[in-house]
Amino acid sequence: MVPAQEKSVRHPARNTSSRDWRSAALGIGALAALGGAALLMRRRTRLDPRRKIRQSAAAMGGSILADSAMEHLRGGFHNPAMYAAPALATLSMLGTTGNARAARPVHAAAVAVGAAGLGFHAYNILKRPGGVSWNNLFYAAPIGAPGGLAVTGILGLADAARTRDHGRLLAGFIALATLAEVAEVALLHFRGAWHNPAMVLPVTVPPATAALLLGQALHPRTTTRPLARSALRLMGAMGVIGTGFHIYGVSRNMGGWGNWRQTAFAGPPVPAPSSFTALALAGDAALDLIGGTP
Amino acid sequence: MMALQDPDPRAIDGHAPDVFSRDGTVPMRQFSDREEVDFAIVGTGCGGGVLAAKLAEAGFSVVAFDAGAFWWPLSDFASDERAQDKLYWLDPRISEGDDPLEFGQNNSGRSVGGSSVHFQMVALRFRPEWFRSRSLLGYAVDWPVDWREMWHYYDEVERACAISGPVTYPWGPKRHYPYRAHEVNAAGQVLARGAEALGVPWAPTPLATVSAPRGKSPPCVYRGMCKIGCSTNAKQSVLVTYIPRALDAGAEIRDLAMVGRIETDKGRATGVEYHRAGQWRFQRARNVVCAGYSIETPRLLLNSANARQPGGLANSSGTVGRYLMAHLNDAVWGVMDDEIRWYKGPPSMACCEHWNYIDDHPDKDFDGGYSFMSQGPLPTDFARMLVTNEGVFGTELRRQMALYNRMAGLKMVGETIPQADNRVTLADEIDDFGLRRARVTYSYCDNDRRMQRHARDFMARMLGAAGGRDLLETGSTAHLMGGCRMGNDPETSVTDSDGRTWDIPNLWVCDGSLMPTAGGVNPSMTIMANAARIADRITTLAAHGELDRAHG
Amino acid sequence: MSGTFHRPYPAWNVLDKWDSPSFNDTTREVLRQRLEEVPGRRFFTADEWPTLVALCDAVLPQDDNPDPVPLANWIDAALFEGRGNGTRHADMPAPPDAWRLGLAALDAEAGARGAADFASLDREERGAVLRDVDAGRLRADWQGMPVRRFFRNLVLAEIVAIYYSHPTGQSEIGFGGPASPRGYVRLQPNRADSWEAPPGKWERT
Ligand SMILES: Cc1cc2nc3c(=O)[nH]c(=O)nc-3n(C[C@H](O)[C@H](O)[C@H](O)COP(=O)(O)OP(=O)(O)OC[C@H]3O[C@@H](n4cnc5c(N)ncnc54)[C@H](O)[C@@H]3O)c2cc1C
Ligand code: SF4
Repeated sequence: MVPAQEKSVRHPARNTSSRDWRSAALGIGALAALGGAALLMRRRTRLDPRRKIRQSAAAMGGSILADSAMEHLRGGFHNPAMYAAPALATLSMLGTTGNARAARPVHAAAVAVGAAGLGFHAYNILKRPGGVSWNNLFYAAPIGAPGGLAVTGILGLADAARTRDHGRLLAGFIALATLAEVAEVALLHFRGAWHNPAMVLPVTVPPATAALLLGQALHPRTTTRPLARSALRLMGAMGVIGTGFHIYGVSRNMGGWGNWRQTAFAGPPVPAPSSFTALALAGDAALDLIGGTP
Repeated sequence: MMALQDPDPRAIDGHAPDVFSRDGTVPMRQFSDREEVDFAIVGTGCGGGVLAAKLAEAGFSVVAFDAGAFWWPLSDFASDERAQDKLYWLDPRISEGDDPLEFGQNNSGRSVGGSSVHFQMVALRFRPEWFRSRSLLGYAVDWPVDWREMWHYYDEVERACAISGPVTYPWGPKRHYPYRAHEVNAAGQVLARGAEALGVPWAPTPLATVSAPRGKSPPCVYRGMCKIGCSTNAKQSVLVTYIPRALDAGAEIRDLAMVGRIETDKGRATGVEYHRAGQWRFQRARNVVCAGYSIETPRLLLNSANARQPGGLANSSGTVGRYLMAHLNDAVWGVMDDEIRWYKGPPSMACCEHWNYIDDHPDKDFDGGYSFMSQGPLPTDFARMLVTNEGVFGTELRRQMALYNRMAGLKMVGETIPQADNRVTLADEIDDFGLRRARVTYSYCDNDRRMQRHARDFMARMLGAAGGRDLLETGSTAHLMGGCRMGNDPETSVTDSDGRTWDIPNLWVCDGSLMPTAGGVNPSMTIMANAARIADRITTLAAHGELDRAHG
Repeated sequence: MSGTFHRPYPAWNVLDKWDSPSFNDTTREVLRQRLEEVPGRRFFTADEWPTLVALCDAVLPQDDNPDPVPLANWIDAALFEGRGNGTRHADMPAPPDAWRLGLAALDAEAGARGAADFASLDREERGAVLRDVDAGRLRADWQGMPVRRFFRNLVLAEIVAIYYSHPTGQSEIGFGGPASPRGYVRLQPNRADSWEAPPGKWERT
């Protein structure tokens, strides 16, 4: 018989620390690095704000395309209308590259389909037993998601923005869109029990950013504008890091990426966080317009 | 008759299985047989596992024995109903009475982690009034424990097992689940629709399987094979929660170690005789705890009889083995228009505790309560239910089984009344270890039957309201409670409220057999909360130097 | 009562997922043994064997299975290995004795109905005998064994446990089969993952 060891032993098999601090620390470190780089980045050759808006619309469209395609694949495309969202996201995305005027109807259609989608998703929630309940809000069609398509469309249309007032309008809109997105993230991260401490980032950084942006929309003061711009860059960086987190999150499901046909659906949606980056880009453009660049 | 090859002992040479790996190990402190450890715990399930972890964390030296194997869930658990019989206690108990119980896979595990390794994870709390059912509700007996104290420990064990439960639970005092409820599957939605049609509340079932990553546990993948062992490690069984904690805190787990006898000297327990790796050994201990569940704990106490205590240890009251309870587990099944595919997800994703919280209702003609849950039996489980209840065979059997994907069911967990004559005694025949087997006598009383009838009717109404057709009723039992109940009176109970036996001050019980009443909910959380409470009580008693003193 | 059996999932075979993430090595090994290492007769005598086979056929007729599940072999194996189920009713002999006694009594029941033995009855007649046994309408001496318990809890329960844990039985009812590491995503009514059986073809019920 082995003699009793003197000290009790510590080993890594614990399942008792439920929060994943290590990856959170890693991610927050990465955010600090990337965010810092973004902040320090000299105002490189200034992009035309309208190009920024176009890029933002394209990025948003890409995020929505991937997300809606995946989610509707999960839903088995059992309703033909489910093809509409990824289709319009694609068109809207393409529309940002070509002739802006010709793409207008496409963007407008994206807005309309997005709005209609809200109705579909609300119906999907309501028809499940329990109606408007936490369980259905968590697991039925995500109530806010179609809004993303509408935002894509509006960003597509916003490429016509010229004036300082347009800029203020856009800033206000981006602030509200950001808050809507935050609400969705809060719901889903609550569903995930905040098991990774970094999950609080997207419900803290963006609301602060949105507040600053809203401030610029209402009172376009130059004093706080740099702060708003910094916040936007941080939020943009967060979208990138968030994608990394979601990729990692999928890998933490049983079978990891090798079992992607399950885990990509069961885990956090990989395309989702980049929409924050898209919104940040548009917010930046709005500040440009407010500031009277070009 | 044990059969099914057990592996060799794995918690040896200073290492124990790392349950989060396929075949890795973690260091484990070990004690020699000669060393008098503070606690020798017999059984590592919901009672023993929790106690071992908490006592070790409090600084006691602990050796916990289990007759079953120490599994690596990731590599030992096949997706196969028949092969996974290895998780159950398969050595026969002799069953008799008007309503003889079925054991094995129905209610008895045999593994490190106990029955929680294959339980179905329904994690409910007692209704507060049930801790005083005699005084407040007029039936059965009171517990020697206040509900508020239990409530505190429910919180503790629910956190430790990261229970995934609804944000708001419709019955009883408030509770906050650490993880969110899972998506209610189609089978659960049948219950939900039925409940909404009848105007009674329902809820997503609080479950001991995580809905998001937790430590090294990935979230549930909804493979639905919880009853044959979770090969995902999403299930927060004692094996993946408290056992790693116990090891971490310096407890030793002895797997495949069957305790056959508790030795006593001058009215005190001195240690346990156990069989491991082909030989009998003796572990000295300052305290011995029985945590083998409602059949094995009484059996061990009875098998440890000696000249001074010919009726078995701690049995001066004659209560050891008595007041055994099972839950009524009757069910109603129906064919749905939809494909339900109830094999997906944990088997019981929606529940209804309506009749647990109703006392005065013209329809209610029984004491006690019952809950019921949506169902998702694996194929052989369902087939067995069909044939034993209906005697159906031939092409008709295949035809009925072919409806498997369109079936839905509601199954009750009903509180039976504790009766002295429902009991564990010793049979004359012996098992492979030379130990006398348990004989279990069980009969329903009239109240049990009235509840059964009521539940079947109510569930049938609900299933019908949800669209179920060709309804079929089946009867069975689930879970075990009692057999060494705790109480305030040494004449009618085996232990005091701390689980300490009235007769032998350093002999304890800490498992489901302590339960004086069954309650209308699945028992594991209550057993764990009670064990967590007992662990704290022991620590307090030790701090006050009262551990070695007799009662009184 | 008898008649044909309509398959709702004719094309579904859980074994088609052998190489997919629904199977892991542990499960593959268990099923490989189940499929490839069918044990021969070890427990029952050569005389008892035809009765056992006839009983299995009456309980679970498999004419339409190109590769019938060898039920009798697995019953034999369980008894040979002394595989228990945790329960023995006080009024029942131990399973090995109960099976021997029961098979002999079935032959005697057949004899009392003018046949040589149980196996020489046709399927209808076997079914009739079993229904009589289940209902307690006995003509032979069962030596006090509770026949319904023998028939339902031992014979039927064991046969379905073997059949419906076998890939053949699982595929027949559209069960998903092995599911680890990959489980399921789509939990809603009438929804299925692409690695599940496609929607069933249902007769009017
Ligand atoms: C199929 C099934 C489903 C269930 N589902 C649920 C559910 O959904 N929710 C719920 O709350 N409860 C459920 N239960 C019940 C729950 O699992 C038990 O009530 C609980 O595990 C009992 O805890 P325990 O500590 O008393 O005994 P156990 O957990 O059974 O632990 C006893 C341990 O002691 C060991 N042992 C016994 N005697 C000896 C000995 N002499 N020497 C060494 N070791 C010994 C055994 O091997 C066993 O591992 C379920 C049970 C089963 C069988
Ligand atoms: S359904 Fe969830 S808890 Fe059950 S076996 Fe599968 S992964 Fe484990």
